Parts: sequence; structure tokens; C-alpha cells
Amino acid sequence: MKKIVLLFSMILMLTLAACSAPVEEEPGFEAEKINVYTRDTSSGTRDGFMRGIGFADASANDSVLVAGFITADNNAIMSAMATDLSGVGYVSLSSVNNTIKALKFEGVVANEANVLNDTYKLKRPFVFMRRVDGDYVNDTEYQLTMAFIAYVASNDGADVIANAGATATSGTGTWASQVANFPVCALDNSAVTLKFGGSDSVQKIAEALSAAFSPACGNVKTENDHTGSSDGYKRSQGGEKDGVNYKHIGYSSRFFRDEELSGPEGTRSQLAWDAIVAIVHKDNPVDDLTGEQLTKIFKGEYTLWGDVITD
Amino acid sequence: MKGTRTSLSQIDTIIGSLLMILALVASSFIVIIAAFITIRGILPFITDNSGLGSVNVLQFLTNTVWLRGTTFLSTAYGAGFIIINTLYIAFLTVLLSFPIGVLTALFIAKVAPRPIAATMRTIIELLASIPSIVFGLVGVGLFLPVIYNIARAMGYSSGGGSSVIATVFVLSLMSIPTITAVAEVSIRQVDESLEQASLALGASPTQTRFKITLLAAKSGIFSGAILAVGRSLGEATAVALVSGNARSGPSFGLFETTATITSTLLQGLKETNGIDYDIRFSLGILLMVVILTTNLALNFIKRKVGNVHG
Repeated sequence: MKKIVLLFSMILMLTLAACSAPVEEEPGFEAEKINVYTRDTSSGTRDGFMRGIGFADASANDSVLVAGFITADNNAIMSAMATDLSGVGYVSLSSVNNTIKALKFEGVVANEANVLNDTYKLKRPFVFMRRVDGDYVNDTEYQLTMAFIAYVASNDGADVIANAGATATSGTGTWASQVANFPVCALDNSAVTLKFGGSDSVQKIAEALSAAFSPACGNVKTENDHTGSSDGYKRSQGGEKDGVNYKHIGYSSRFFRDEELSGPEGTRSQLAWDAIVAIVHKDNPVDDLTGEQLTKIFKGEYTLWGDVITD
Repeated sequence: MKGTRTSLSQIDTIIGSLLMILALVASSFIVIIAAFITIRGILPFITDNSGLGSVNVLQFLTNTVWLRGTTFLSTAYGAGFIIINTLYIAFLTVLLSFPIGVLTALFIAKVAPRPIAATMRTIIELLASIPSIVFGLVGVGLFLPVIYNIARAMGYSSGGGSSVIATVFVLSLMSIPTITAVAEVSIRQVDESLEQASLALGASPTQTRFKITLLAAKSGIFSGAILAVGRSLGEATAVALVSGNARSGPSFGLFETTATITSTLLQGLKETNGIDYDIRFSLGILLMVVILTTNLALNFIKRKVGNVHG
């Protein structure tokens, strides 16, 4: 009797071992349905993400997305990814924390270093251009514009940019160590108004920079009027530069197009990267997704995590 | 003496007209609000929306996808599924919260000893005054993970718990205090002689409570239900947090994501403009119509059901 029991249990163990051998890590995860989370169509992060993965059609169009997707804001996507084992969403790099798993994009880890050395590709640039020399009403406005550009590049500017959620591209030292190069900032500039415009995706950062710059440079007045990236060029160097909506600085959330490069190169600069990260639940075995895979997931061509794992 | 009487009656007249003016101001807001929402909300249907073409009313009322095409470039809006979702959720909410609310009221009014009843009454009043966003946060922090895990255990993959049932739970939490508060008052107002007659005829206290007290108070209880329906139809913030804000539907499955008129109205409201902004006023018209129709229907039923006292 004992022998039979022993034999049976050995057979059982062998079968179990044989069964579990070919199954990879996380058995059963392949059968998990992918739950797609997205920001709503008015979100700049959504626009950046969809363009970044090569699915620009979806940047403002819900009807091309997989059926049954979930619309949520930044915080809701973060908290959902902490619960939903089979979810996938995206947030700005600055929102990423250890409650969720940040995916690599095309094999590159999303962190500040990889964003700055341009290996991490799921991102969009925040750039600006100023009016060309000689196109200012007076020298004070020219000096103030130059001071603003130096401020944006300083460590103080970089802090403001980082606090607003983007990755600053430069930090040239503290503003206190450079302000002496701009004697105009020692004057009372409260009668002068600097005008900023262009991309509305940059608006939050631009307004924060304006607010921080004003007290740092003689209380100059600032006016932010953001209407879209194309107006960044038009209203500073393009057709509307002398119109009522003229700007001293025009922002853009994409690199300036060839037809916008009429002015000298020194009038343009990049202030930051806005990096976006695809995120999943911590227990999700997937570590890395390509733009093509993300596109297929958001389109609904891949509906199970197995489609990605075996891909 | 006569002079005093005249001045007194003058004061009466002045106070009377002052009160009337205040009442007129207060009530005229309903006209102002209705007119404002209607005028803004009709624009997408009658203008060409700066070259995009006008929104088709019939499609708007029947479509099962919120927006076909690209935002700001398309006017193919549809809210048919949202209307159905909204009514479905309100129905489920009442189904869940009505029995709980009424039975709690019965307990407080008739069964509980005086000190317990007083405490419970205070708690219910407190609950009724908690802002909806708090219920929404409780829903996100507490309900969603639980619902997600239950759904998983049952073999469903819910979107992080955002679902019809999460919405119904949160709305029920909000409606139960309303139902209880109103029902409790009307149960206490039931003529005691009715109950004593029932007891004298040999009915047990339980039989009396259910067959006499509740029946006699049904008009008031029904008013509580109407208020609860109003609250669940009109709640935006809490619903937007737990519904998943589906963009197509309708969703009847308890673990499916959903969207109501108010949550759709709220989504992205602060970030959008143009047609995508104006269409939210059209949703506002829809909401007013849905609430008004539901209230009229419920009041009609209430009259039909009637009152024992006649």
C-alpha cells in the first residue's frame, strides 16, 4: 500500500514538473486582456505620446483607439496602474514614482540622463525663438529679452522648468552669478512688458518662467498668450511679427520647421524636453515596448499581453 | 391709534413687496440658467461651427460613440449611449440605496432606543452634508481596488475597478443619507392611532411597521427616492473619478467602464475650447431634460401610488 502511494506521488510530482517546465515566468499572464488608459483629447501629454509612438492619428481622436479604453487624468492613471495588473497608460516623466513600473521605450530606460543624451525617444522638445536683432521697439526691450533667455538657461530657470514637470536642457550656473552681465535688470523695468506666446503645451512652464523672471529683473511686466506652436514663429519672426499680437519670445512644442528657420540660428534655442513614459503595474512581466507595439496596443490590434510577450 | 395702525400696515406692505422681490430674484435664476444653457447648447446644432458643419441632432441623440473623428475637426458627436448609461446607473443606484435607506429610517424612527436614534440621526445628517468629491475619493481609494480584485477573482478584467458597479456604490453612499433623512421624517409623522389600531387588532409590531407604518408614509418615502434619483443623475465629480469615462457604449455589464452625462460634461472641460467646449452645453440641455422628465414621471407615479390618508 505504501509503495503504491509513493509511486503515485512520484508520478504526480513528475507530471507537475513536466507541466511547469515549458511555461515561462508569470504563467497565465499571456491570457490577460490589456486595459488601455489614456488622457482625454485636450491633453498635451496625449498629443506628445501619440506622436512619439507613431500614432499621430490618435492624438485628438478617440474613435481610432481600441474599444473600451479608459479616459483618466494624470493622477487617475497613476493610481489605476498601482491596482490594475493588466493596464497600460502613460504619464510625464516627472510623475513617475515607485508605485508603478515605467517601461523602457525601444530598449532605453526613461530617465533624465537618457532624455538629455537623446537616446530616449518618447519625448517632445520645448523650444523658443526671439525677435531678430534690430526688430525691437527700443534697446531696453532687447536687453530684457536677452536677459530672459540667459535666465531660462541658468540653474534658476532649470529649477523652474523642472518644477513645472519637464527636463531642462541646460543649467549655466546660478542667476545671481550672471545678473551682473545684464545691467538692465538693475533698473526699474515695471513700465516695460515682455510678450510671450506660441505653443499652449509650453504654457504652464512659460508662465512659471515669466513669474520667476519678473522679480529677478527689475519687476518687468510679462504677458503670456499661448495659441499654438505655429504662432510661435509667426508672431516673433514671421508674418504677424509686427501685428497687434507680436511677441518677444515665441514657444513651440516641436522643433521649428524648415520654413520657420528664416532668422539667424542664434535667435532659437531649446529650453526643455517633455519626456513621456508608458507605465504598467509593477507585477507586469513586460519591461520594454517599442513604438510599434504601443501603437498596436492603443489601436486594439494587440488585445492580450500575450500578443506583446510573444511578439 | 389710527395713525399707528396705518404705519403698521404700511410696514406690512413694504415687507411684503420686499419679500416678493427677493422671491422673484431667487426664482428668476432658474430662468436665467435654463436660458443661458439652452442658448449656448443650441449653438453647435444651428451654426456651422467655424466651417466644420453643424452637429446632427438626431445623431447626437442616438449615436453610441461620443465623437467619431478628430477633436476640433469633427462634429460627429453622439450622446445616445450616455443617456442610457445615466438612466441605467440612476436606476441601479435607487435599487440599491432605496431599501437600505428606508429600512435605516424605519429603524431610527421606530425601533432604536432614543439615545441611539438621536446619534444615528446626527450621523445621517453628517453624511448627507459631506461634499461629493469626498465620496469620490473614498471610491477611488477604497472601492476601486476591492472591485478590481473581486472582478479578477470572478474572471473579469475591469479597468482598475472603474466600472458601473463602482459608480453605483459611490452614488448609493451619497443617496442613502438623503433617502433616510426624508423617509425618517415622514415615518415619524405617521398617525400613531393607525399603528395602535393595528396592534390592537393583534398584528405584531413588525407586521405593523411594515404593513401600516411604511405604507402610511409611502408618499414621503417616495419623495426621498425622487431626491436620490436627482442626486445620482446630477452628480459629476465623484462619478468622473470612478466611472472610467467610457467614450462609447452603452455599458450594461457591472464591471464595464461607463460614463454619465455629467461626467462626460466635466471631462477635459477646463482644457478644451471651440466646438468641443460648446457641445458640453448641449449635454447640459440633455441633462436638464433628463432630470425634468424623470422628476415629472416619478411625481406622476407618486400621485398614482397615492397616500393612505387620501
